[in-house]
Amino acid sequence: MIEIRGLSKQYGPLVAVDDLTLTIERGQLFGFIGRNGAGKTTTIRMMMGLLEPTEGTVCLGGFDIRREPERAKATTGYLPDHPFLYDKLTGLELLRFVGGLYGIERRECEARSQELLYDFALAERAHELVETYSHGMKQRLALAAALIHRPEILVLDEPMVGLDPQGALDFRRLLRRLGETGVTIFISTHSLAVAEEICDRFGILDRGRLMALGDLTELRARAARGPSNGNASDEGDGSSLESVFLRLVGAADGEW
Amino acid sequence: MVGGVAPLLLPRALAARHAFRRGPGRVVFLAVLTAVFWAGCFALFTHVLEYFHTLADFGPLLTQRFLVLLFVTFFGVLLISNTVSALTTFYLAGDVALLFAAPVGTRRLHHARFAETLVSSSWMVLLFGLPAFLAYGVVYGAGPGFYVGTVLTLVPFLVIPAALGVLLTTALVMVFPARRTRDGLLVLVGLLVATGFVLARTLRPERLADPSGLVGFAAFLVGFGGEPSPYVPTTWAAEVLIPLLGAREGEPLFHLALLASTAAMLFLVSAAVVERVFPTAWSRAQEGRVSFGSDRPLARWLRTLTAPLPRTTGLLVAKDLAVFFRDASQWSQLLLLLALIVIYVFNFSVLPVGDDTALGIVLRDVAAFCNLGLAAFVTTAVAVRFVYPMVSLEGRSWWILRSAPLALQRVWWSKFWLGFVPLVLLGEILVAATNHFLGVTHGLTLVFGLTLLPLLAAVVSLGLAFGAAYPRLDTQNAAQIATSFGAIVYMVTCLGLIALVSALEAWPVTRLFWASRAHAPLSRGEIGLVVLCLTSAGLCCALVFLASRRSGVEALRRLQA
Repeated sequence: MIEIRGLSKQYGPLVAVDDLTLTIERGQLFGFIGRNGAGKTTTIRMMMGLLEPTEGTVCLGGFDIRREPERAKATTGYLPDHPFLYDKLTGLELLRFVGGLYGIERRECEARSQELLYDFALAERAHELVETYSHGMKQRLALAAALIHRPEILVLDEPMVGLDPQGALDFRRLLRRLGETGVTIFISTHSLAVAEEICDRFGILDRGRLMALGDLTELRARAARGPSNGNASDEGDGSSLESVFLRLVGAADGEW
Repeated sequence: MVGGVAPLLLPRALAARHAFRRGPGRVVFLAVLTAVFWAGCFALFTHVLEYFHTLADFGPLLTQRFLVLLFVTFFGVLLISNTVSALTTFYLAGDVALLFAAPVGTRRLHHARFAETLVSSSWMVLLFGLPAFLAYGVVYGAGPGFYVGTVLTLVPFLVIPAALGVLLTTALVMVFPARRTRDGLLVLVGLLVATGFVLARTLRPERLADPSGLVGFAAFLVGFGGEPSPYVPTTWAAEVLIPLLGAREGEPLFHLALLASTAAMLFLVSAAVVERVFPTAWSRAQEGRVSFGSDRPLARWLRTLTAPLPRTTGLLVAKDLAVFFRDASQWSQLLLLLALIVIYVFNFSVLPVGDDTALGIVLRDVAAFCNLGLAAFVTTAVAVRFVYPMVSLEGRSWWILRSAPLALQRVWWSKFWLGFVPLVLLGEILVAATNHFLGVTHGLTLVFGLTLLPLLAAVVSLGLAFGAAYPRLDTQNAAQIATSFGAIVYMVTCLGLIALVSALEAWPVTRLFWASRAHAPLSRGEIGLVVLCLTSAGLCCALVFLASRRSGVEALRRLQA
């Protein structure tokens, strides 16, 4: 469903993403994790065609994002790390607008917008300008916009930021439900506990390189083989994703 | 708690220093422009004051009235400017939350923001007002006391509207949400400035260059508002300076003391009020608007308006129009634009081209031809303000369009039509109205009107290309985007294109005009040349349109939010 081959991005001498190759099957919930500046957002922006890669290809739903951008994007819903929205539109107008861009028929778009506004607890504020929404409300609205066309693939960059505990719980449930219906989900997050709870498979990115790939069991095995920084305490079979991650990326590089 | 106001002003000072270091060339350019403006103002004021000086009986009265008029005008501008500025510095600026959350007392916060408001609102009035005071000193041969007195007068004179502005803003924020207040104030300012422009132009200030016109102005001043009230700061300020000029006896120190004590009192009141109500007022400033509970009328109207368009194009156009009309800063700009158009057309209505002599007819034709270039120029200036920022105004929301299954050409075309249709309407109305005042024949007006179409298509296409090549996605202030480097390059490029098209059309238009005057048909060779010139002009526009469309779409593809 998502196929990334030899993807690289260079900014002058800085290699932000280095030869990334990755395949994510249909219905899989893939957690893309890494430290700040590891290259996660750059990867996602290249996946969505927002940034030109230096090298490599990305296929979404079988369509190359550079050769057939419209067909690739039509299958995908996207939530960026900072989802800036049109402040001067109302929540309902924004959903109608995005739905229209994805070619949803008017009546269906209206019904779907109302349904999503209700699901994301925004129905009461549907006719207010987005500029009056709180950060969490904007995040929920952006998520609703990403889902309006019932995408087969969902690419989410730090989706939990700004959500309150209830919102975060509802969101985790939603992702699991979408995964069960066959939606492929690519999620970049720093919330390792959340990733561990909902994702089937993980990719750990460090300094632009994919340093580990697999499910939690495979990652634990990899961590057990890899160099230890001495900080991780859980090294057994039950170690958390967080401790595995810390062992693999080497927290000895610094506290931050 | 760290004391003093200086640390709170440091970020602004550092930002100003960085801006200067980044673009010293721009500062020098602005300084030269200001110097030229200063020289012009100084010459005008000197001319008027010298005339007053020659009137033995009315001279002192006119001097006094003119000075009062100046202070009244400055006070009005300062009051509005300080109110708008205080709204931003006290209640809407992004860093207020940071300062409010820090262990910074409300009084210190008031003093720092008051200083910012005062400087940001007053510098321009001060800068453009100084030539007037200098002219007074020079014409009346005043001693150093006048200049010292001017400085001492201006300080409290600037503080008073600043304090009133802060108080007024605080009162407004306590009643209305801050965004609503700002929107209302922006529209009010636009309306006032637009009215001011139109009034200033219809008063025909060029008549001041003519002694008979000056007599009329003097008569207006003598009758201006009767005797100035002794209870207002504008009179006190004038009363400080008039005796220092030697125009008549007076009590400058008493009036200076009145000004200074009032300024000090208002400053303290402003500090006390802000200190008492700031937490409540700032909290209210964060509140949004009340829900409409249903579709907004504008949205319904736009859906109907765009219904005949293809679905995606209609959506893009409706979205851009909704964002445009809900931004109050755009309304104020529209009002200014309207005022400029009224002035432009008015200028043609008062041009002395009424006679039907051969010379009069030729002059009329030349004026009509220049009018084509001028109309294109005015329309281009409007394009710089409204078309050039179109791409940048997508701002950080650009990801929505970029991640949607949407061809960038479609985005380009929707923005093109959105810019082209209103500009064509504007340009054609300008040409038709002004040609009507000039008494130009319908045939020639039609030629000019047709010429404008490809020219404006090229101008809009260039605007989108330059706007996408020099994007300012970090700001939502269209006026700021329209004064950026890319906008200047765009304007210069458009002027070059207008000059080229005008040059290509000059000969055929003149030839056609004389042929119609002489009732003599053109020879075949001449017809060929006329067609060649007009086709070349059209081709130039078409080439520019196509090249800039291509580069615009390419720039959109590269654009990253």
